[in-house]
Amino acid sequence: MIRDITIGQYFPGNSPIHKLDPRAKLVLTFVYIVSIFFCKNFAALAISVAYLVFAVLLSRISLKLLAKSLKPIVIIVLLTSVLQIFYNDDGTVLFQRGWFEITTGGLVMAAFTTVRIIALVLASSLLTYTTSPTLLTDAIERLFSPLKKIKINVHSIAMMMTIALRFIPLLIDEVDKIMSAQKARGAELDTGSLLKRGQALVPVFIPLFVNAFTRAYDLAFAMECRCYRGGEGRTRLRVMKFCARDYVAFGVTIVCLAGIAVSNYFLTALI
Amino acid sequence: MADIILDFQDVSFRYEADEDEAPMPLCVRHVNLQIEKGSFTVILGHNGSGKSTLAKLSNSILVPESGKVLVNGMDTANEDLSYDIRRTVGVVFQNPDNQIVASVVEEDVAFGPENLGVPPEEIRKRVDDALKAVGMYEYRGHAPHKLSGGQKQRVAIAGMIAMLPECLVLDEPTAMLDPQGRREVLETIHRLNNERGITIVLITHFMEEAVDADRVLVMDDGEILLDGTPQAVFRERETVRRVGLELPKAAELSFDLRADGVPLPPDILTAQALADAVYTLLGEGKHADS
Repeated sequence: MIRDITIGQYFPGNSPIHKLDPRAKLVLTFVYIVSIFFCKNFAALAISVAYLVFAVLLSRISLKLLAKSLKPIVIIVLLTSVLQIFYNDDGTVLFQRGWFEITTGGLVMAAFTTVRIIALVLASSLLTYTTSPTLLTDAIERLFSPLKKIKINVHSIAMMMTIALRFIPLLIDEVDKIMSAQKARGAELDTGSLLKRGQALVPVFIPLFVNAFTRAYDLAFAMECRCYRGGEGRTRLRVMKFCARDYVAFGVTIVCLAGIAVSNYFLTALI
Repeated sequence: MADIILDFQDVSFRYEADEDEAPMPLCVRHVNLQIEKGSFTVILGHNGSGKSTLAKLSNSILVPESGKVLVNGMDTANEDLSYDIRRTVGVVFQNPDNQIVASVVEEDVAFGPENLGVPPEEIRKRVDDALKAVGMYEYRGHAPHKLSGGQKQRVAIAGMIAMLPECLVLDEPTAMLDPQGRREVLETIHRLNNERGITIVLITHFMEEAVDADRVLVMDDGEILLDGTPQAVFRERETVRRVGLELPKAAELSFDLRADGVPLPPDILTAQALADAVYTLLGEGKHADS
């Protein structure tokens, strides 16, 4: 079960989406996520969903894999859309019992929220699935490099992210191993009250943390051995350069944004 | 003396104790050791014998308490030289997982040259070359955590090779590997030594790995106890046993056979050599009979 976590993982490939400049991908993903929240009617929402579907198909990432990324947010999606149904009393009443009523406005809000959250998660998963963490953090380092002027060490932050992403799968494996070891000694991790389960996790996390520190220590030695001395004077294996592909991606995105703006302007806003 | 790459001169070292505690005992005691360029040296010792500390002393990760370590004549105590020292002597550690920085094989191998400020086209060349040298070129786009232990360790070695070191110090690189992985790593190390002339210092507690070395050292309690060719060192069965090590199995067996009166030649270290010797012996026996 714990091995299902795919946050921040990279699945190497050769698709046009994989090959996009990571800076472009990062900016486009951000713009896209913001744009989803500006969709005010179903036409606009449809355009933005179509854009995402197009990107997913281009990336050739298996749909099963993407579905996995949605697993952890199912509860959040359900909860927020139910709340929307509860609290929104616009539109005509469809169903009423005591203080509880379902209105068309509530249903529309619930639908929008669901689609928005799912699109948000899928878009960000698509970004990490198709971009190697090194390139992604490299892109972050470059995009935020103006912050160096106000004495923020962008390189260190980017390096920390690279290392964190590299160690996520390792630590997940480790949790799995420790849990099996504790279960073998009779620990009950899957049964009992919430409090009991929480307590049962303590002997899982203590060895995990201890190991993480040992790893950190080893890694620091290994990085020193490889002449790491911070960002200064460092070169890169891959030089980032915008090419035709990136301009096309920007073009498509602008068309999509224009579509959203047009439908927002000419059609009635539902929310 | 120009052909000495690593020069330990009367080196002693101890780790710092916690506050309010008695100072730690010396874990390297007055070690004198010269490693020749292009040689293949194996350092044997059980846990806590100070052999891993020796690895960290060799590229100025640690600095000796007394004495001097010279790398191509550069003093490891001089901090200004530490980057030149580290690109001359590469150190590979035991756990490959904790040495890999990036999430893609080729990006990890590029980490060292990137730190050195090598131009991108040159990095590409070095990465491809290093990955080919360890036989991992086909895996350049893979995620390290999906590789086997032996493959990961070869990637870690490639990461060092890409910095074009003259000497590789490997601290128990096979301790966490299965027999298949161990064989892969050893073959790689020997190939690097033979084909590229890279000086190898292999620290291990597997006797079998010492058999093909030019020179074998046995360490105990921070001191060098034995030093010589594998044949010479493995003749000292009692000393080797006293420090908690065992001879290679073939050597052990031929010792016992000789003790029982079988006229085997001395200095048999591998199963193949033992089989050949026994075969010759049986052949001679037949001759005597006929």
